[in-house]
Amino acid sequence: MPFFGELFVSEILKKPVLDPKGEEIGKLKDLVIVKGEPLPKVSALIIEKKNKIFKLPWTDLNIFNKRIISANVYGETLQPYELNEKDLILVRDILDKQIVDANGAKVVRVNDVKLQGYNSEAVLIAVDVGARGIMRRLGVERGGEDLMKLFKKHLPYNLISWNYIQPLEPKLTKISLTVPRQMVSELHPADIAEIISQVSHKEGASFFKGLDVETAAGALSELQPDVQAAIITGMETEKAADIIEEMPPDEAADVLSDLPMDKAKEILESIEKEEAEDIQELLSHEEDTAGGLMINEFIAYLPETKVKDAIMKFRRDAGEVETVYYIYVIEANEKLIGAVSLRDLLLADPDARLTDIMETKLKTVTPDTDEMEVAEIISKYNLVALPVVDTEGFLLGIVAIDDVIDRILPPAAKRKRRKV
Amino acid sequence: MSFWKKIALFLSVMGPGIITANIDNDASGITTYSVAGARFGYSLLWTLIPTTIALVVIQEMVGRMGVITGKGLSDLIRENYGVKTTFFMMLGLLIANFGNTVANFAGLAASMEILGFTKYIMVPLGAITIWILVTKGSYRVVEFILLYACIIFVGYIISGVMAKPDWNTVVKQTFLPKLQWNSEYIMMSIAIIGTTITPWMQFYLQSSIAEKGITKEHYKASRLDVVIGCSITDIISFFIIVTCGTLLFPYGIRINEASEAALALRPLAGDYASLIFAISLANASLLGAIIVPLATAYYICEAMGWERGVNKTFKDAPQFMWIYTLTIALASLLVLIPGAPLVFLMVLSAVINGLLLPFVLVFAIFLINNKKLMGEFTNSKMYNYIAWGTVVAVICLTISWVVTSIF
Repeated sequence: MPFFGELFVSEILKKPVLDPKGEEIGKLKDLVIVKGEPLPKVSALIIEKKNKIFKLPWTDLNIFNKRIISANVYGETLQPYELNEKDLILVRDILDKQIVDANGAKVVRVNDVKLQGYNSEAVLIAVDVGARGIMRRLGVERGGEDLMKLFKKHLPYNLISWNYIQPLEPKLTKISLTVPRQMVSELHPADIAEIISQVSHKEGASFFKGLDVETAAGALSELQPDVQAAIITGMETEKAADIIEEMPPDEAADVLSDLPMDKAKEILESIEKEEAEDIQELLSHEEDTAGGLMINEFIAYLPETKVKDAIMKFRRDAGEVETVYYIYVIEANEKLIGAVSLRDLLLADPDARLTDIMETKLKTVTPDTDEMEVAEIISKYNLVALPVVDTEGFLLGIVAIDDVIDRILPPAAKRKRRKV
Repeated sequence: MSFWKKIALFLSVMGPGIITANIDNDASGITTYSVAGARFGYSLLWTLIPTTIALVVIQEMVGRMGVITGKGLSDLIRENYGVKTTFFMMLGLLIANFGNTVANFAGLAASMEILGFTKYIMVPLGAITIWILVTKGSYRVVEFILLYACIIFVGYIISGVMAKPDWNTVVKQTFLPKLQWNSEYIMMSIAIIGTTITPWMQFYLQSSIAEKGITKEHYKASRLDVVIGCSITDIISFFIIVTCGTLLFPYGIRINEASEAALALRPLAGDYASLIFAISLANASLLGAIIVPLATAYYICEAMGWERGVNKTFKDAPQFMWIYTLTIALASLLVLIPGAPLVFLMVLSAVINGLLLPFVLVFAIFLINNKKLMGEFTNSKMYNYIAWGTVVAVICLTISWVVTSIF
């Protein structure tokens, strides 16, 4: 059955479907959608007559456009249809639901769906998320346009191409393409967190589960603690452990500290031993102290290291460390004696030793220093990171400026969302 | 689970139910209770018992939907009943809540006049403060203020005790009422139910529970929050009626507004009681003026799929910001214009509220029995009988209230 051109679903709903003699078979109630290449397509029409529901396969259609829908077959030959959860049907499952616009990185509501002819199939080309879609559904699109013309303005179309849509329902995810998956991975983790914080916890969790480990780890650390806990608790331990392992140890520790004891233990046991030890050490500190904020990954070399060797080593080590702007100088027993900024290191004579160029008057804090004091020191001395040492001067970790800022000014998605 | 663990759990989910129920005692609620007490003494106290039961039954269902689906009521209605139904419902809610906001600013104006401030300064000041608090402040501050502002309602309990009522009579009249069969009495008892169970609070409660991210494991604690909230509301109402019933009723003092009650109390009960009454009214009005416009803007944008959020700008979320700002600006302006049709607006708001309520409640019952949404948390058969009974009774009463307020 050839279908050219394009139409909106709201324009054909409740329209009569005719048989070859021009008699009405029933009214169009819904459309069954299946996965297609390159876009999902309509596989059948669902028709309602006298409270009975029938299914009309796409191949039995003769004409399908805004004005006329007619079939090759007669009403008597139609299969009765029972609404079920297995099929994906357009009005019930897509219309009026929330979806993610992966291009604009926000949650929108489907006001209407646009179909287009492609190889004689009707494919889902776009969703309408604008005021025009609402007006069309209310039957006042024309009126709205006339009204806007009075002000010499145009009623804008606000369509999002199906390619850029990331559904929230797991069922819808099955028919969506691989393209949006990649698009979502390219979103900034903060945007993903914002999206998750705007939908219900169920939808948020299902959306999260679809992310790859790396993206998931990034997004998780941007979320509010109770949302983090809810999502991780709802996941299989294996998958949760993979994600936690991907996060920097300080953030991993934050997440684990909000989980129920046994779940946190279970996850820790599935994590690689070295990583787990780092996290465990951080877990022992109070959350609002330097110990709770610090990360125990840093770059530290011995004082006799030559600058050129340090740079070589730095190239190898820096990939796995989050904050790399200072190279700490420690004695063989890990006692902190100085620091070299990355800038000084690069500008120094390659044959100089670290001990010659290092800054020795270091500002340090102990693990139990309050977070506000840490913030004040970082602010006062314009530091990028602040070393945390124990009472004997052994370097335990560093607090990076971004972790402090997150505590004082939490990012939008971490703040309590709306709650009117 | 240990006792302390249970307490900690409750404290973490506490809030939505108690805040919602307390904001329910806004300016129009307090007016109704004051007028009822002054006109009929203690003889209407009994109506609070069925009202509380109805309130608990309805709020529990709405709260349960918030916990299980994690979505707001306007969201669910849009997803299940389409854009047309939702659109007209939201339009009704917008008009009704505009009327509510006007009533709250009028309450603020009247209480400020009693306290000796001119309304021409205090109302604009209040409106601007509210606007800035919500759009520029963080929501955490707002929630904190809201929860603690509820404590001021204790003022009504204090003034009730200070009135030294004869507690024997009060208890007897509450549980063994002498019913009167005149139209004014019946109208008043209907008004008490009508002002206590409103459409907007169903939307408000469900959203705040969904927003708080309460999960089904904590549903029982959340239910307790709702039940406590409903009880507190009606305890406050109880003391307002008792105060006016003790002090004003015996002298045959008739009042039409809550502020008149505060004024009439001065010669009879002294400055303190009058002051407490006026401050509590100001507080209730301010709370209502903060929440009602904010909530309205939220549900409408949620249902229509527009950007929303208090930390958004006019550019990011134009519809949200305009609805919120215009509601506050127009309502406060109307209160200050001499001869503005305030009474007409409030009656209109009451009528629309009354017309909306049946739809909201019936949708709520259909949605809560939807297995796809609620899974095993649908109503039990028994609970459905109770729920339908309550809803049908409330609907009948509200409709007759609407009819009487028109004529």
